[in-house]
Order: sequence, then structure tokens, then C-alpha cells
Amino acid sequence: MNAIDATDRHIKSTDGPPPSLLAIILDTNPHAWAHLSSILPLSKAVASLLVFINAHLASGNANEVAVIASHSQRTHWLYPTPTLPTPHSTSTSNGHDANGTVPENANKYRPFAVIETAILSNLTTLLNSTTASSLSATSTTQISGALSTALSYISKSHIRHSPVDPTINDHSTITTPDTDGILGQQRVSLTSRILILSVSGDLANQYIPVMNAIFAAQRQRIPIDILKLAGDTVLLQQACDATGGIYMAPESPQGLLQYLMMGFLPDATARRALVLPSAGSVDFRAACFCHRKVVDIGYVCSVCLSIFCIPSLPDSKCLTCDSHLSLSTTLTVTPALIPRKKKKRKRGPGESATPAGSSTPAPGSGTPTHS
Amino acid sequence: MADSDGEYVQDASDDEYLGGINSYGTRTQGKGKVRARENARPQQAWESAIRTGLDTFKEAADGTIQQSVQEREEERKRKRLRKDARPFQRGIIRHVVLVLDLSEAMLEKDMRPNRYITIIKYTQEYVREFFEQNPISQMSVMAMHDGLCLRVSELSGNPTDHIGAIQGLRFPKNPRDVPKEPKGSPSLQNALELARATLYHTPSHGTREVIIILGALLSLDPGDIHATIKSCVRDRLHVNVIGMGGRLRICQEIVGRTNAGDESGYVVATDQESLRDLLLATTTPPVIRSTAAETFSGEMETTATPAESAASLLMMGFPSRIIDNVPTLCACHGNLTRGGYTCPRCSVKICSLPATCPGCHLTVILSTHLARSYHHLFPLRLWKAVSWHKAKKKGSRECVGCLSLFPDPPAEETEASNGIIADDASDSEVDDKAEEEVGQQKASESSRYQCRSCKSHFCIDCDLFCHEVLHNCPGCLSQANSSAAVVQDVNTDVAMIG
Ligand SMILES: [Zn+2]
Ligand SMILES: [Zn+2]
Ligand SMILES: [Zn+2]
Ligand SMILES: [Zn+2]
Ligand SMILES: [Zn+2]
Ligand SMILES: [Zn+2]
Repeated sequence: MNAIDATDRHIKSTDGPPPSLLAIILDTNPHAWAHLSSILPLSKAVASLLVFINAHLASGNANEVAVIASHSQRTHWLYPTPTLPTPHSTSTSNGHDANGTVPENANKYRPFAVIETAILSNLTTLLNSTTASSLSATSTTQISGALSTALSYISKSHIRHSPVDPTINDHSTITTPDTDGILGQQRVSLTSRILILSVSGDLANQYIPVMNAIFAAQRQRIPIDILKLAGDTVLLQQACDATGGIYMAPESPQGLLQYLMMGFLPDATARRALVLPSAGSVDFRAACFCHRKVVDIGYVCSVCLSIFCIPSLPDSKCLTCDSHLSLSTTLTVTPALIPRKKKKRKRGPGESATPAGSSTPAPGSGTPTHS
Repeated sequence: MADSDGEYVQDASDDEYLGGINSYGTRTQGKGKVRARENARPQQAWESAIRTGLDTFKEAADGTIQQSVQEREEERKRKRLRKDARPFQRGIIRHVVLVLDLSEAMLEKDMRPNRYITIIKYTQEYVREFFEQNPISQMSVMAMHDGLCLRVSELSGNPTDHIGAIQGLRFPKNPRDVPKEPKGSPSLQNALELARATLYHTPSHGTREVIIILGALLSLDPGDIHATIKSCVRDRLHVNVIGMGGRLRICQEIVGRTNAGDESGYVVATDQESLRDLLLATTTPPVIRSTAAETFSGEMETTATPAESAASLLMMGFPSRIIDNVPTLCACHGNLTRGGYTCPRCSVKICSLPATCPGCHLTVILSTHLARSYHHLFPLRLWKAVSWHKAKKKGSRECVGCLSLFPDPPAEETEASNGIIADDASDSEVDDKAEEEVGQQKASESSRYQCRSCKSHFCIDCDLFCHEVLHNCPGCLSQANSSAAVVQDVNTDVAMIG
């Protein structure tokens, strides 16, 4: 089906399934791993992750991987190793140390060894640079930063992989509709996905940036998979649901490798043929901004879209944006009655014969009636 | 044909004249790096577009145009960044009437294959993008055809309704219907009256906008259009016009009067590409002017103008999703579906959201739909171009977002002669503000773009991606302290302006 696409000529050389880019976000929140340490220490988890990465690389010649650590204070690239800025252009051969000192081991496939050394050494750097004071400052993790970085990296990789004029590419990322998947599938020659190995709980403070990242992923058709070893957050469940990823919260984290290999190894191409673990029911109810209480029916500020659980705010001012809110339009009017009257008056002389018929077009015509 | 030729010659001579000024200016500055365009006066759209000819290529110091080509490419890309970087109070809940011109002027072939087919294609794209950006808004499509204004689709929040109706113009669903080919003259008055009637019942917390795509250079009205404009102002309609071929006095007046004297809503597309850009630019929610400014502008009837930003608290239902074992009928379409949502007030089953509950007229929505609009309220500020001098100082080697390598700074120190350094100094603070105010986006000589709050350097692709799709700065969010600060900063800005 790709034959008519000009992008294909380039890819044809790698016979087989399209190359797959896997971006892994490893949540290295020290607080959470301290809790988990009796069941699954970080070292074991990283070892399992490395096996999983190798399996991913082995399942396709052109497969790629990117690993980002989402730490308590910052995000950190684990692979590929970033080049550090060298102020005032002193030396040019800096920062490639991690890749440079790959131990020669005749028993190991060299690409595996390169990635393993890079990840381990970068992780060590990250953990060594974590101070006690930074630990006490916060107990959360920079998942929004890690997601944003991963998405930028993936977007650039897509541009690199498709020899099409990048402007055309850009246009279509803006305009590709959510609804039909065929168009996007044909153009993109690289399939990519994000896997988040999450251990942290509450992410409410990053709600807006994480949501932005979820919508970006949704538009780019990048599934976000979640393997939740500890903690609980609705936000990541929604991320999975919106992007069509896999959500798993295993009861026994010891079997990490098993979960990774069985649940998350197949890429988007293979997943079409598989029965996937389902997310079950996702909680979509909103939490109010005033008490963090989950609400069924809420009151939304028309200016800043904050959600409140009570219609009577102090001074009738929005708590978020301070604008003065009038309640009259929504609360004093019973919504169901007014449109009926109008409809009857308008249609009275013409088609009064079918009162049932007059109510059917109402949902279609929508808001003119619900003032 | 003869007409357009004449036009071209005229514009070309104008172009030469401006080019003369430019080259004169650069000669006095010396033969350093040359910013291609510095315009004394703000340009109209049709002028600037024609000037992007070969003459804007400048030879670099070593005689190659490679760098120049790349810069132009980046400049072109950056231009497309929507200029919504400043935090303003915006009308998130919009009610928009899109009016298409189906008069005989649309058979003109200056767009390929002709204006009519182009516009049918672009509006479908536009509808999708509109609802992507404004999930809780409503739209209606109309067409000016042979002196009348026809309603193509009713006011609704479902993009597929509109797309189907627009497609139906060319390829009617009912085989007995005749396709609507462009015919006759357009009537702005009829269009405005019908739009006014459509928007009359919309609630006051939402915007009332009319976007007219006008190909013709005339309007054939049955009555006094000025009376219609007056009543549009009274009903707080905001009209935007996207013209083709030339500017019309009457459009200028319509846009000016309905937007409190601001005529920037009247734009003219020079070609296909600019038509598309201008159209898509209107998907960004409009800035809401404060009521003070509204009453201040003199010519408005002070008697009947209701408060513009009548903010209100809306009651909305946040349903839970259900998955049934057996298919049941949905209340909205009467289709058999397995999954769906139940209205929290009347427990009716609705198959897709956002929607108005067919049972009790509650607006039923997911909290994620609200979140989709947050990036308009807390926009990511535009990044600024980084000069070689600064790039060297920071020593950045690769993009923070995607780790792709930047070009190395030029080795020889000749570049950093006095002129450049002085330029830098003035560049930094003053230009910083000015550039953002004007919203003009230059390409960076060093291919680096800097976030204003976290000072990270990014490549052009990440710049576009972060501003157009992601709306996050990977650099800011990767540092715990700055991210919180940024959100707060933006928040206060909104409060101050709004
Ligand atoms: Zn509350
Ligand atoms: Zn508010
Ligand atoms: Zn339905
Ligand atoms: Zn209901
Ligand atoms: Zn980049
Ligand atoms: Zn930043």
C-alpha cells in the first residue's frame, strides 16, 4: 500500500517491517524507588530494561532506541548521550567519553554493549549528582519534561527518516485529521512509540504540560505505553487511552522483564495482529480546582476553563483568573424549557402536526437553543 | 490575462524601488551579514509576497549562497508560527459562521485548478483544524451563491457534519441534486443578515464571529448594507474577511466597525499558500478586548452594546464511560453502540463527546476536552534567534530537544568584527522586546533558537514542533524550578491583561 508514496523509495533498501523507534522514559524518582527497593531494586529494573532494549533492537535491523530519565528535579538523557555545551569554544572533543570507552568484549554484540555502557554511565552520573537537599525539595518527577523531550526527539527522527520536503511534512502534521488513520500511516516511514516506566504517584502539578504532550502525541499518532510499577495516577491512564497505548499496572513488579517482553515488545505494526491487554475503565471525571474533589456536574469559568464544584464562588469571582462571573444565564434558566417554546412558536403554523418531529432536529441544531 | 500582466509590471517596479533602498542601506553598513528585509512601513500582504524573488539571495562573505539559502528556508518556516505567543484573555468558546463565496469570481484560475475547488479543499481542512483547536466551539457554514446566501450546514460542534456538507456542494449526496457551481454575484448583506440570525441565540459568554472568504470584488445587495453593519455591531458580531485579488472599501468598513476600529481582520490572499495560512490563522481563538476599549471607540452605539466579555460560570457534565455487553441505542443518533457515556444528570446514553445532552440539554464534555484549550491560555512564548556571538559564548553544540548537532561557529574571527558586536549589543534587550511585539520572526544565523526563560538552544525543527504542536518547552520542563515559575509568570500576565 506504500507503493504510491514517494517516501518509500528510500526505505525499500531495508527489507521487512518499517523501522521502529522506541523512546523509553525511566522514572528515576528516588523516593519511589526507595519504597520499591525491597521488592524490585533499581539495579534489577535497569538490568531488565537493558534486556528489553536489546530485544527491541534485535527484532529489526533499523530499530532505534532513546532513553530518558525523568528524575526528581530534572530530566536527563541516558541514551543517546548528549554533548555538553563547551562555553567559549575551548575544546571540541568533550562529552563523547561515555561512548568512547566501550569495553571490548568478544562475547557481546557491539551495538548492545555501546548502549549498555552509555545508559549505565549516564545513570551513574545522574545518581551521583543528586544531592540530599534536592531530594528533600520535592518528591515528584519531571515526567512532563521527559515526555516533551521524547516527543521532540521523535518528531525530528521522523523528519530525518522521510526524504520528503520537510515543509510538506510539517503541513500534514498540522492538518492530518484525527479521524482517518490511513493517510498518516502511509506517509510516516518510521513507527515510533513511547514507553513510560512509571513509579511516581501524584502528577497533578504538571497537569497542563502533560496534557499538552498527550495531545501532541495523539496528533502525531504516537502511542504512549505505561508500565506502572507503583503509585497511581489518572493522568497517565488518560494518556494511554487518548493515544491508543497499553496500560499495565502489574501486581508483582518482580516479573518486570516478563511484562516488558510480553506486553510491550510488539511495535505498532505487530500490534494490529494481537489481542492487547486492555486498560479497562478509565476515569474521566474531572477534579474541581478548589478542593480537588471529583465532580460529575461542575461549573466551568468561561474565561479560563477552571472547574469548580460549587456555583457560588466568593464575591462571584473566578478563583483562577479573577474575572467576574455572572451565574444568571446558566442557573436561573431551566435549560430544557426555553428551546421548546421557541420551536413551537416558530414552527407553529407550518408543521404543528408532528410535535415529536420538532424535537428530533434539536440535538443537531445544538446551541442556538440552549442559551 | 492582460489585466494581471499590467498588475505585475506595476508591482515589479515598486519592488525595484524598495530593493534600491535596501541595497543602499547595506552598503553603508559594510559588507557584513545582511538581513534581507528591513521595511520602513508595514507592508500589505500582496506587496511582500511578490518580493520573495531571487533578488533576496545575498552572497555570503566567502562567495557562497549556501548559508543564505538555508536561512531563507528557516525564515520561511518561522513565519508560519502563529503569533499567539503573548498571553491574552481569549474567547475559548466560539460561535463561528464561515461564509464561502460561490459567485462566478470563484471560477478564476489564479489558484489551481480554480478558486472554487481550492476553497472547497481548504475549508474541509480548516474545519478539522478548527475543532482540533476549539473543541468546545460551534460552527456553521454558509455560501454566497447567485445573490443569495445559502445555509450549507447548521450550527453544530461536530466537524463531520460540516465536512460532509461542504463536500456535498460539489458532489451532492442525493444524486438528483445538481452540484453547486459558482454562479452570479455575492451579497455581503444577505450573508451578514443570515449569519446574524444564526448567531442571535448563542449565549453571551461565547464569541460571535463571522469569517467571510470573498473572491469577488463586488457585493450585490438588496438594501442598505450600512444598516446591516449597524445591527451586526449591536449584536456584537465580529466579522473577519479574507479577500482575494484586492481590497474593498466596504469590507474594510465591515471589519473595522464590527471589531471596534481594528481593521487587521481584513486580509487579502495573494496565492493558494497564503490563502491557506490566512484561513488557518483564524483557528486561534480571538483576543477578547476589554469592555473599556469597546465603549471608548467612538462610533459605536453606546446604548445597546452589552458587556463584551460577559464571563459566566457554565454548568457542565463530566460523564463516565460505560462499556455495555450488548449494544444499546444512543440517544443522540439512535444508533446501536456498545460503548458510550451517560449524562450525569439524566442518565441518557450519548455516543460521542462533546455534545449537548439530548435529554436535558446539559453540556456534556470530558475534562480532556477542556485541557485541549489550555495552550491558548498559557501559550509558549516565541523563541529568539541566537547570534554567532552568543552561540559561541554559550558553546551549545546540539539541540536540547532532539540532540541534533548545530553547525560549528565560524573559525575565523573576521566575522566578529566591530560591526557585529555592536549589532549584538543593541540586539539583545531592546530588539528582544520589539521583535516580540511586532511578531516578526527572523531566521537565526547560527541555526539556534533560544527559549527566553530557560535559555536552552533549539533547532528550527524543534522550534516549529514545540510552538505548533507540543506547546511545551522541553528545556523549561526539564528543570524543576523554572517550570513552576513559568506557569506562574504566565498566570499573572493573563490576570493583568484580562
Ligand atoms: Zn471544589
Ligand atoms: Zn476563570
Ligand atoms: Zn449517537
Ligand atoms: Zn442529560
Ligand atoms: Zn531540535
Ligand atoms: Zn524553556
